[in-house]
Amino acid sequence: MYRYDEFDQKAVDERVVQFSGQVARRLSGELTEDEFKPLRLMNGLYLQLHAYMLRVAIPYGTLSSKQLRMLAHIARKYDKDYAHFTTRQNLQYNWPRLADVPAILADLATVEMHAIQTSGNCIRNVTSDHFAGASADEVDDPRIWSEIIRQWSTFHPEFSYLPRKFKIAVTAAPKDRAAIKVHDIGIIIRRDAADVLAFDVYVGGGQGRTPLIGHMIGESIAAEDLLAYLEATMRVYNQYGRRDNIYKARIKILVHQIGADEMRRQVAVEFVEVKAQGALALPQVEIDRIAAYFASPAFETLSDENPTTANPAFNVWLENNVAKHKVPGYAIVTVSLKPIGGIPGDASAAQMDVVAGLAEKCSFDEVRVSHEQNLVLAHVRQRDLLTVWQQLAAAGLGTANYGLITDIIACPGLDYCDLANARSINIAQAISTRFANQDRQREIGELKLKISGCINACGHHHVGHIGILGVDKKGVEFYQITLGGSGDETASVGEILGPAFGEADVPDAIETLIDVYFAKRSPGERFLDTYRRVGIQPFREKLYAAH
Amino acid sequence: MPLIKNAAFTENQFVHVADDETLPQGNVIVSLKRWQTERADLITRNAPIGVRLNSDQSAEALAGDVHHFALIEIDFPKFRDGRGYSSARILRQRLAYTGEIRAVGDVLRDQWLFMKRCGVDSFEVRPGTRLEDFRSALTEQTVFYQRSSDHHRSVFERRHTACQALAAE
Amino acid sequence: MPQVLTANRLSDGEVVYLASDGAWVERIAAAKVFTSPAEGESGLHIGAAAERELKIVHAYLFDITPAGKPVKMREVIRAAGPTVRRDLGKQAAL
Repeated sequence: MYRYDEFDQKAVDERVVQFSGQVARRLSGELTEDEFKPLRLMNGLYLQLHAYMLRVAIPYGTLSSKQLRMLAHIARKYDKDYAHFTTRQNLQYNWPRLADVPAILADLATVEMHAIQTSGNCIRNVTSDHFAGASADEVDDPRIWSEIIRQWSTFHPEFSYLPRKFKIAVTAAPKDRAAIKVHDIGIIIRRDAADVLAFDVYVGGGQGRTPLIGHMIGESIAAEDLLAYLEATMRVYNQYGRRDNIYKARIKILVHQIGADEMRRQVAVEFVEVKAQGALALPQVEIDRIAAYFASPAFETLSDENPTTANPAFNVWLENNVAKHKVPGYAIVTVSLKPIGGIPGDASAAQMDVVAGLAEKCSFDEVRVSHEQNLVLAHVRQRDLLTVWQQLAAAGLGTANYGLITDIIACPGLDYCDLANARSINIAQAISTRFANQDRQREIGELKLKISGCINACGHHHVGHIGILGVDKKGVEFYQITLGGSGDETASVGEILGPAFGEADVPDAIETLIDVYFAKRSPGERFLDTYRRVGIQPFREKLYAAH
Repeated sequence: MPLIKNAAFTENQFVHVADDETLPQGNVIVSLKRWQTERADLITRNAPIGVRLNSDQSAEALAGDVHHFALIEIDFPKFRDGRGYSSARILRQRLAYTGEIRAVGDVLRDQWLFMKRCGVDSFEVRPGTRLEDFRSALTEQTVFYQRSSDHHRSVFERRHTACQALAAE
Repeated sequence: MPQVLTANRLSDGEVVYLASDGAWVERIAAAKVFTSPAEGESGLHIGAAAERELKIVHAYLFDITPAGKPVKMREVIRAAGPTVRRDLGKQAAL
């Protein structure tokens, strides 16, 4: 994985000093809250319901064991012994004191980490495929390009006061595990007919109040021009994105209003100008330097084996949470942060240490955070799988539910978040508990259930096969259900079923939807496939007849 | 409002003239609208002239004209409104403007460095601003990942010139 | 409807309430109850002053029932802690 050089380290160290000064100016009254807010947000610091919240960047979701141990240490020393992994592959501490934040950032800097641009109206942490470097279907390691984009976007002088936040995601596989079409910019890396890397740039996707799928604006952009193309897109957005209405300020609204063709034209004009200045052309030697950090680890020459044992619980986990690796004899392990009835994405400091230890011993010292709020050990020898599972299970991390109905994405909701209208974790817990039966989950098969506690859609409900949105009706929490969303390469926005349900009725409503799916499904169909074939009507009829 | 230019407090040599006001003698700053409607008269004046860009006015509107100006003011009506950063870059890069670019309006200390990097070289600052604050704000960060409108090379470039320099030794 | 003035403490973000003696306290039970809009208005002035004095951030009023409980779930959760972690927040000490 990438390691800082003297420049990277200095940039982060200088930021720690700078932010410490900003905190001191706030505490002395030199800065008002209104002035401090954009500064603290650009450093990932929020003021939430109960306390401040610090969001730490995990660039494209990749961590070393040492970094994960530091995150655990900070949870113990400055927080309440746990942290929350988010849908943007980041980590959040829910209880830090303002006065401690400079010390936390100083600790993070010692392991090449920071909280830069994890919030604010700037280019946020770049996200990517959590199976990068391990899956057989990728054409290049997308983290090389994510890292290049991370560096270019860090402290970008022109694009730090954008109309609104800006999220970039990168994938280099035909199977989109990074939900790139629902990002402000999504990048698909391909190889063209001559086997040269080509970058397709999708612009204007997003969730929130107006969910939209991105349009391909840039086709087959050359590697050395990638940053120039991004700069051109950002400049068009910075000048013409709406600033009069926070709900219409994302780039998706600009693209929607002027149309994809006009956006393509404007970006193309700007792209010519930016390219002509030449300053953003990426030197091949620099691409090579960064790529070298993502070279494959020293895999042993092994052959595939059948790791199944006499232990049925292990075998179920093997079938659910272990994916094929590009190298024979290795496997990709998804560590579920979705224990039945638990809080999606939360991990205790002790659990983080367990995963860090396993990564160190069994996965070339690397951990991934997925946007689905799980952790990934990307390079595990198949012969180590049983040991890995035993240690995970002993730490409460062995739940065999990856991709199943209890592998729920949920935002923190009204239990923590200042913006939320309703709770979401409690709904996730209720559904998870209702569908706890392993055989039943497996019979249902792949089902992406995603819950948000407000229209900002941090829980990605618009792209859930089943999506749930919490709303407030006169002080009472209600939950609106959508069907048919998808965040993968077949991206679609879910359709609203009908009137919202009260908190207590949600699990029953989900049961009814599953019943319809069972009644209608053809052999081999996932929930989403059946929905796409039969449409929303059978679900709607049954659900509202029953309730 | 105090004015800082070249890291020192400076007297403002220009006066703002409203669109319906008669032009006085000396250095004036006019609106973009007035520039566009009275361009023919304005270019015959002997005194230096400045123009003011509001945040919703594109710097592109000055294409072909920038050599007439001694000063271009960019207004930041709210510190959150970041359009002016792109305006400054377009003036410096695309329109090759070399005169003074002045940031006016709601400008915070923590924005000076980014503005300077985008090509702003004079700043209207809040009363009470100390020069040492200005200097330290401009030196808090020294690592720049991207080329902009200042003289800094990007980290991408510096890494390899450092290597080449080492190799040449 | 009776109201209570709340904010977050600047230094650590802790949820606090204005008490009758002018102090900012952590327990809603000790909060001053404003019974009229005019009183509430005066409370907001106290909040604004406390913000200037760097004690608190974002002072605002919210409704409580005659029994002294917050009307909205948001304030119930702020007064107690996360409903999904009864071991955390103010409720942990009760």
